[in-house]
Amino acid sequence: MYRQDGHDIFVIDGHMHCWDANPENWKNKYGESWIRCFFAYHSALSPAEAVWPFEKFCRYGDEALVEDLFRTGYVDMAILNSTYLYEFYNNGFNSHIQNNVVKAKYPERFLLCGSFDPRDEEAGIETFHRMMGEYPIQGLKLYTAEWRNGSRGWRLNDPWAYKYLELAQAAGIKNIHVHKGPTVYPLSADAFDVHDVDYAATDFPELNFIVEHVGLPRLDDFCWIAAQESNVYAGLSVAMAFVHLRPRYFGEIMANLLFWLGPDKLCFGSDYAIWSPKWLIEKFMAFELPDDLKQEYHLDLTLETKRKILGENVARLYGVDIEAQSAKLQRDGIAISE
Amino acid sequence: MDLPLSKRLVGAILFRSKIRQMSAWGDTDTMHGNIECDFPADFGTRLILERLAQVLDPELDESIVDLGFVRSVRADSGHADVTLQLPTSWCAVNFAYLMAEDARRALLEVEGVQYATIRLGEHCAAREIEAAVNNGRSFAEAFPEEGEGDLAALRQAFLRKGFFIRQERLLCELRVAGCSAPEICALRLGEILIEDDLTTIRQPGAAPRKGGQAATLRRYLQRRAELGLDCRDDAQLIIDLEGKPFSADRVQAHYEVTRTMRVALEANSSFCRALMSLRHLADAAPSRREPEEQETCTVRTDTTSL
Repeated sequence: MYRQDGHDIFVIDGHMHCWDANPENWKNKYGESWIRCFFAYHSALSPAEAVWPFEKFCRYGDEALVEDLFRTGYVDMAILNSTYLYEFYNNGFNSHIQNNVVKAKYPERFLLCGSFDPRDEEAGIETFHRMMGEYPIQGLKLYTAEWRNGSRGWRLNDPWAYKYLELAQAAGIKNIHVHKGPTVYPLSADAFDVHDVDYAATDFPELNFIVEHVGLPRLDDFCWIAAQESNVYAGLSVAMAFVHLRPRYFGEIMANLLFWLGPDKLCFGSDYAIWSPKWLIEKFMAFELPDDLKQEYHLDLTLETKRKILGENVARLYGVDIEAQSAKLQRDGIAISE
Repeated sequence: MDLPLSKRLVGAILFRSKIRQMSAWGDTDTMHGNIECDFPADFGTRLILERLAQVLDPELDESIVDLGFVRSVRADSGHADVTLQLPTSWCAVNFAYLMAEDARRALLEVEGVQYATIRLGEHCAAREIEAAVNNGRSFAEAFPEEGEGDLAALRQAFLRKGFFIRQERLLCELRVAGCSAPEICALRLGEILIEDDLTTIRQPGAAPRKGGQAATLRRYLQRRAELGLDCRDDAQLIIDLEGKPFSADRVQAHYEVTRTMRVALEANSSFCRALMSLRHLADAAPSRREPEEQETCTVRTDTTSL
């Protein structure tokens, strides 16, 4: 809960991880390259006082996470964006199985994402049903750039992806988080592409597609799609991080998102532990859109809009009743007495 | 260039490149623009550096010198040797190849340079790219496993994108200067003139008035010419990629689109600058240096998505 001028703002961190990138879990050189890449982003964009030692960054554990999110980071609830990477990490990077450990300890605090990989085709269907049956899966996180047996990725509109989306919908899933972020090693322009979201969003109007990292650097393509499709939402993690180092640029991103999508489709995410919600939220709440941008875009980032971005929009997507949930959270042993 | 071997590597100088201050970066993150240079005393240093400054990161549409990607330049006996340092060791291999290839071509265009060698420092595919570029082999030959490897199409796509982004800057300045949509649409190339660092709009029957920055117009016109678009005086200033002008009621919507394209593009340049500043920090303070990347990282890492 963030308090400003006597107002309580309920915060849902729409994108975070409880990962294991300890060297013992590295399957090959890619396990190391991956976490070092994350660490570079962490070091480059965080305020100096929020930069961790590399060892902690590899594996911070449940208790640090609970502290950083719920005790000092203003977060009330958080969405575990499971990321598997079995080709790089022996036990996975943060699979739903790994993430469920902290979810089981604090069930009211987390929304757990599962996943599917359409390249598993028929063979993956039983695994998918087992995941849905055995874990409290509330959403899906899809990672189209993940490697699998020599394949460099897949698309949301592949026929098998549609089969799995149908299965997910039948199982009661409403929200699909799709990773569309700053891919730094694209060997073709296709690797940047967000257009598959357009097809899936049109063909599955009952599902919501939260595009994580707003397609950066393909923010423009994302905006055209999200402006057109009522069920496409902006996941702000990564974009949020600019609020510290490049606040004006952050303002330009926000102005564009508000211009094309409006205030009801933007969802806060920290991408913890790449960045921590404490400083992200403090700087976001202190941030005001520069006057020239307000005039240029004819809009503003008001307190009301910030409240929507930080919690209300995601709460609506997941059917979280903020008042009832706040009362529950008071009793789970994490709540800070004030 | 006819220098005796004995004059090799004389007179090392440190050339501070003309890096513009990245004021938008905030106080603590200005780029360091130091390029180590090693030249014979009477060698045309500036020729090489100026020519290199025209090489662009094709995606970011900015000079590799301004971006701080040129680490060192050495020359002797007709042989130029340039080391590029990209922001990370995992920067896209195709883009790294393009920049290395462009830099080598640029060097070979400088009078007196007969041979050119490009090095890529700590890049994960440095050896493969250097071997290909320095021997004139194409990307597809060097990386046959990377599919069609059509770099020409990739380059063209970014040239076209860059056209609109350069046009957006121009539109923005014209709007600030008070030009209305119908006025902007009616403007012809011959009516906007470069005078010192600024532009002036001179139309028949109207008093001359201030346009914007000369550099903005130059960049736009340069790209327009590169794309083979009409650059004659009577051609309309604001056109699309087919060379068609916009109607007054469409130009605002067009501006809104290009505005978002620019902001999208700046995401990657922001990442590059932030990551580059880490590298400079590591260079400046060895104690803070991160462990070296693994030598063997031939990383096909599409992994570097967050």
